[in-house]
Amino acid sequence: MSVEEQVKDIVAKIAHIDKSIMSREATFKEMKADSLDIVQALVAIEEQFDIEIPDEEAQKFRNFGDFVSYVEQEVAKKG
Amino acid sequence: MKPLEGKLALITGSGRGIGKAIALKLASQGCDIIVNYFRRREGAEQTCEELRQMGVNADLIKANVGDPAKIDEMFDTIAEKYGHLDIFISNAASGVGRPIMEIDSKAWDWTLDINAKAMLLCSQRAAGLMEGRKGKIVAISSLGSKFVWPTYAAVGVSKAALEAVTRYLAIEFAAKDISVNAVSASAVETEALKFYIKEGLVKEMSQTTPVGRMVTPEDVANAVAFLVSEEAYMIRGQTVIIDGGTSIALVAPLMEKSEGK
Repeated sequence: MSVEEQVKDIVAKIAHIDKSIMSREATFKEMKADSLDIVQALVAIEEQFDIEIPDEEAQKFRNFGDFVSYVEQEVAKKG
Repeated sequence: MKPLEGKLALITGSGRGIGKAIALKLASQGCDIIVNYFRRREGAEQTCEELRQMGVNADLIKANVGDPAKIDEMFDTIAEKYGHLDIFISNAASGVGRPIMEIDSKAWDWTLDINAKAMLLCSQRAAGLMEGRKGKIVAISSLGSKFVWPTYAAVGVSKAALEAVTRYLAIEFAAKDISVNAVSASAVETEALKFYIKEGLVKEMSQTTPVGRMVTPEDVANAVAFLVSEEAYMIRGQTVIIDGGTSIALVAPLMEKSEGK
């Protein structure tokens, strides 16, 4: 499964979001994910991929695509 | 010899803020420190470095104390590596800042798990490592346990639970010669404060404190250092308030205005 699919699964499960609305362009607000959903998703994704996503970076995510790209980039760095 | 030389303390959430100030204070008394952190490795590493420069041993353990399995992993690591613990400080905290009508089950669980349940579960494990060592446990609470602050409901409730857990532990652990207490501070100038208070308000708040300034992380650390000392041996299950008098001087700002009239 691709990193994007895994991230989608985790966020969908935590925030109870239908995966069909999780496009790369969608904002967290549009997906109706609140701040706790986002924190819990960050925690779960950090654990799943053994990476760290600093809050300062997370605050820069404009939409779901930015989030996925950051995770992909960190996973790639780990090789 | 420094008073805490040869002792080992675990402080949850000690990469920054109040937890870091406590770590530095206990280290200044010779205590070796295990820095627990959750998501900010950089700050925790920095804290460890500062502690080592003070001449004590400092170790780093990542764990989300909101997750019972991670608590067990953390204590398993400590048990294996050190086999004992003298001081446990339950400092890590999180919370959801929302009006009470917006607090759902998930927000409640997240806040209560990290702020209150972790104290119970960590203390149970810590007690097993404190046998015959006159262990000391201190929880970090806040005035929100008794007083109301906008959007602080979930955290306030969790802190009330934390203080109650402290009392029950204190009595049951007395037989184990482990002392348990809490400290409760009014708003402390840390990064976390920004989540609850607009920056400009901090100055205004400090003016409503009878002593004329905000509580600092060092103020909290000083009280913790006393509670883990042998001088505090007979203090059990108490919540020591550190607020410059704020909580008992409800009309202090008004009194000042009416002075001399």
